[in-house]
Amino acid sequence: MNSKTTSFRSIGSFLLQIPLWLYFIVSVYPLFWMISYSLKNNDEIFVTNPFGFPAHFRFENYVNAWTQFNIPRYFMNSFIVSIISTLCILLLALMFAFAVARMQWKFRTAVRTYMIVGMFMPLQVIMIPLAILVRDFHLTNTYGALIIPYIAIGLPFSTMVFYGFLVSIPREIEEAACIDGASIYRLFAQVILPLALPAIATIAIFQFLNNWNEFTLAYILISDENMKTLPLGLLFFQGSYSTDWGAMGAVMTIASVPMVLVYLLLSEQVERAMTVGSAVKG
Amino acid sequence: MNKYLGNKPALALFLLPALLLYSVILIYPVLQTVFRSFYDWDGLSTASFAGLTNYRELFSDPLLGTSLKNGALFALVLAVFQIGLGTILALVCANPRVRGRKLLKTAYFIPVVLSVTVVCQLWIAMYDPTNGLVNKLFDVLGIPYQQNWLVSPTQSIIAIAFVNAWQFMGYQFSLLYAGVKAVPEDYFEAATIDGCGKWRAHWHVTLPLMRETFKFCFTIAITSGIGAFVQMLIMTNGGPGTTNYTLTFMIYRYAFMESNYGYACAVSVLLVMISLVATVVINKVFDRGQHA
Repeated sequence: MNSKTTSFRSIGSFLLQIPLWLYFIVSVYPLFWMISYSLKNNDEIFVTNPFGFPAHFRFENYVNAWTQFNIPRYFMNSFIVSIISTLCILLLALMFAFAVARMQWKFRTAVRTYMIVGMFMPLQVIMIPLAILVRDFHLTNTYGALIIPYIAIGLPFSTMVFYGFLVSIPREIEEAACIDGASIYRLFAQVILPLALPAIATIAIFQFLNNWNEFTLAYILISDENMKTLPLGLLFFQGSYSTDWGAMGAVMTIASVPMVLVYLLLSEQVERAMTVGSAVKG
Repeated sequence: MNKYLGNKPALALFLLPALLLYSVILIYPVLQTVFRSFYDWDGLSTASFAGLTNYRELFSDPLLGTSLKNGALFALVLAVFQIGLGTILALVCANPRVRGRKLLKTAYFIPVVLSVTVVCQLWIAMYDPTNGLVNKLFDVLGIPYQQNWLVSPTQSIIAIAFVNAWQFMGYQFSLLYAGVKAVPEDYFEAATIDGCGKWRAHWHVTLPLMRETFKFCFTIAITSGIGAFVQMLIMTNGGPGTTNYTLTFMIYRYAFMESNYGYACAVSVLLVMISLVATVVINKVFDRGQHA
């Protein structure tokens, strides 16, 4: 009797899990398919073996992708743009949040509200004047054309997360620093900064991912082949190389590996970073 | 102490870089967009004041209807797929008997971190009429349903919206899952003990308590539907013809291809207004449920 109910229960829990594993396949199989066709030739992809694992690995697709196309250049551009803008966002947002959350001055609530407004601005509403600004400052087709807007766009959200974090630190810290004779700059650099490390890590991941994958602004502001970031550069393969699916698959796999690795290594932090918005905005 | 924390030079140093950049790159363009929407302006020469002409033209623009319809369809696909299916998956996944939860969550989230270009091109390949996985799958299953997914004017917007829904499912799922987890288990248990079936208990107890989560999820889904752009640009370039146009696509075309900046600014203003109204309506709908 007892074993009977247990087996019913296990069948029940097995049936219960079916939708979860079905969606698992929906979510992962396209990626598996991409990786496997990056290791096949057209004949295998189209006719002999469209669904399964490659019969033997054609790594030459990867060699072709890496050497014949501009992939290394796109990687470098993406890396430079994402790293610099993320670092600047962290520094500027933390300084701003420190001034608003910890320092004593008259208009801090007003200034904080002014910054919050930016969180609700869709990109489309700044797109046109921004493109003209970039042109008038002669930044078109430079790293600055992306880095400067990325910093500005990253600020409202980041300052709000840092603000929430810094406000909760006890007031005694400043008193101690003041009595010890530490300057306000030392207080910021040597006390507040280390304390804020968990929030810094969250924002760093969030902004790096955002900047690395940003498409729309890059598409509008960058046309020079040598300045293209990865999401932009990959567009190029669509037309000219769509006949060689293997190489295209290899290009797409190469482009995806870094972010997937970052995610797999830091999955908890990445999920928290990506969803922290709900805590701030909601 | 107040003097220490009111240090004027330090305050200036901490505040000004962020404020300056934010004002020049975000606030100034927003004001500029609103201002220029009343002008006839090609982005180069001096603009001439045009009053409401741009808006009047916009409301008789045949592309507007297409764009609004596509935005609504896009939002609908996101809402049904991500929030509808996502909620069911989140409820099932929260069941303590489920094994491999970590693996499932990771698998759902991986597409979120991929570049949108990669995802779109992967799905262009998936939708390929002769060699794509989708048609091959129907073939293998013996279903005679071969489609030219991205070329059909009626289907392509749904097919494209699905790509976005697929990519960001993991994001909505983790919000929804966190929402389910935040509901105290006693509530749910009390309802099942009172003789409610599991699904009815979820319907009457868990879901109403997830109101805040739903509010946020719907806001994301609806506003990203209204503002959708990149997927159409990459997968069909707004076509066939102009059938896949959205509001953002209109902005892009009028500003950057036809140098009709004033008109494009008017479209931007309309887009923001619609997003704003949608957000307010979503908030109202979920808050009303609270008092009932």
